[in-house]
Amino acid sequence: MNLGTIFLASLLVENVVLMRFLALCSYVGMTSSVGQSVGMGFAVTFVTVLATAATWPIYHFILVPLGLEFLQILVFILVIASLVQLVEFYLKKNVPGLYAAMGIYLPLITTNCAILAVTFDNITKNYNLIQSIVYAVGVSAGYLLAMVLLAGVRDRIKTSPVPKFLQGTPILFVATGLITVAFMGFAGMIK
Amino acid sequence: MTIVLITLGFSAILAFVLGAALGFFKEKFKVERDPKIDEVRNALPGVNCGGCGYPGCDGYAEAVAAGDAPVTKCAPGGKAVSDALAALMGVNASAEDTVAVLLCQGTKDVAPAKGQYVGVPTCRAAKLSTGGTKLCSYGCMGFGDCTKVCMFDALHMGDDGLPHVDYEKCTGCGMCVKECPQQILGSVPRARLGSVVVCSNRAVVKATVMKSCKVGCIKCEACVRACPEQCISMVNGIPVTDYSKCTSCGICVQKCPTKCYKLLETDIMGKVVIKEPVSV
Repeated sequence: MNLGTIFLASLLVENVVLMRFLALCSYVGMTSSVGQSVGMGFAVTFVTVLATAATWPIYHFILVPLGLEFLQILVFILVIASLVQLVEFYLKKNVPGLYAAMGIYLPLITTNCAILAVTFDNITKNYNLIQSIVYAVGVSAGYLLAMVLLAGVRDRIKTSPVPKFLQGTPILFVATGLITVAFMGFAGMIK
Repeated sequence: MTIVLITLGFSAILAFVLGAALGFFKEKFKVERDPKIDEVRNALPGVNCGGCGYPGCDGYAEAVAAGDAPVTKCAPGGKAVSDALAALMGVNASAEDTVAVLLCQGTKDVAPAKGQYVGVPTCRAAKLSTGGTKLCSYGCMGFGDCTKVCMFDALHMGDDGLPHVDYEKCTGCGMCVKECPQQILGSVPRARLGSVVVCSNRAVVKATVMKSCKVGCIKCEACVRACPEQCISMVNGIPVTDYSKCTSCGICVQKCPTKCYKLLETDIMGKVVIKEPVSV
């Protein structure tokens, strides 16, 4: 698989939110405005790439030689959570501007399942480090895309007469379902 | 057996390394934070209503500690909190406890609608699209936008089509005052005594007011003439009381032909919230 294919497949065909239905919590929670969803999307991109760069070597150079592959869930969660914390400390001290724009989302990302899914996928799909990082960028760009799409739809929903039984989160899932149907058009684009 | 030991050993090492790294970097990248922020934050009520215009109590505490915000912005805290903040910041300022008062008595029966409204059922949408659903374009439309923003369960829509303020729960945070597109909710100091016009109709023609609402101010200025203290003056079509002079004598309340004058202490803050409008 070449890198372009990996990127496009993870961005559109297997969009992490719309086709695999991961990370729905932050997807619904952080899309009340477009600006907020973009901030969250970039924070997720950053952390996903970082987590991939950290967990891939840990798996291949530590867990595999020790025969501890079954520990990957535990190890990955621990490593990602600590990593996010470290990044938060670092940004707060050295890049306050970036921290103000992105830092408030970091605690939310610590246990984001999209990020964990990416790190597991990298192992199960037998990607090398470069492929893993491209895959991570693709998945999180797909997440950003889905967030911005829903945030736009939500702006419209705010001024629409939604039936009472669909108000709040239900209408968001209906909207998500419709966006998903649109994304199904990409299925089969890459085989 | 060895795999168990390796697992245990590895987990212990990993946990130790990560824990130590976090502890080390937390110290290394420690950001000096103004201790005043925490002191100010502790003095605030912590309800995060947003009435001050900052993102929650934390945001307001930072702004106050930095000297960017006045200490009187916290309405739920009222006088007690502003005094505490003033003491912390070494400034002289004090806020009054306020409550929200609806300046309209246009219930469904006395202030008729000008037609059937079928759009988005919020006050703001109705105001934008039709300029008001009632014949009185100044009056309360009764969709309850104010009740939706109230965080303190102090505003409820009554069967008469008007929101009713629960003065025991109202903290005066002012969110409803900002939300109302008709701007007919007023922030009134809780301790204020005197008379107030419970009408916001600024149409200058008497006949227009009489047609659109039975309890509207018809600009007869009987109150202005009757007041023995001469503390009432017409401002933009509505009589306004000068509270430095008002003695709560109640003469304006008696003289008002449409009964839109009320005494704050007995008719509004008292248990009798707003007396049933008398049909003329």
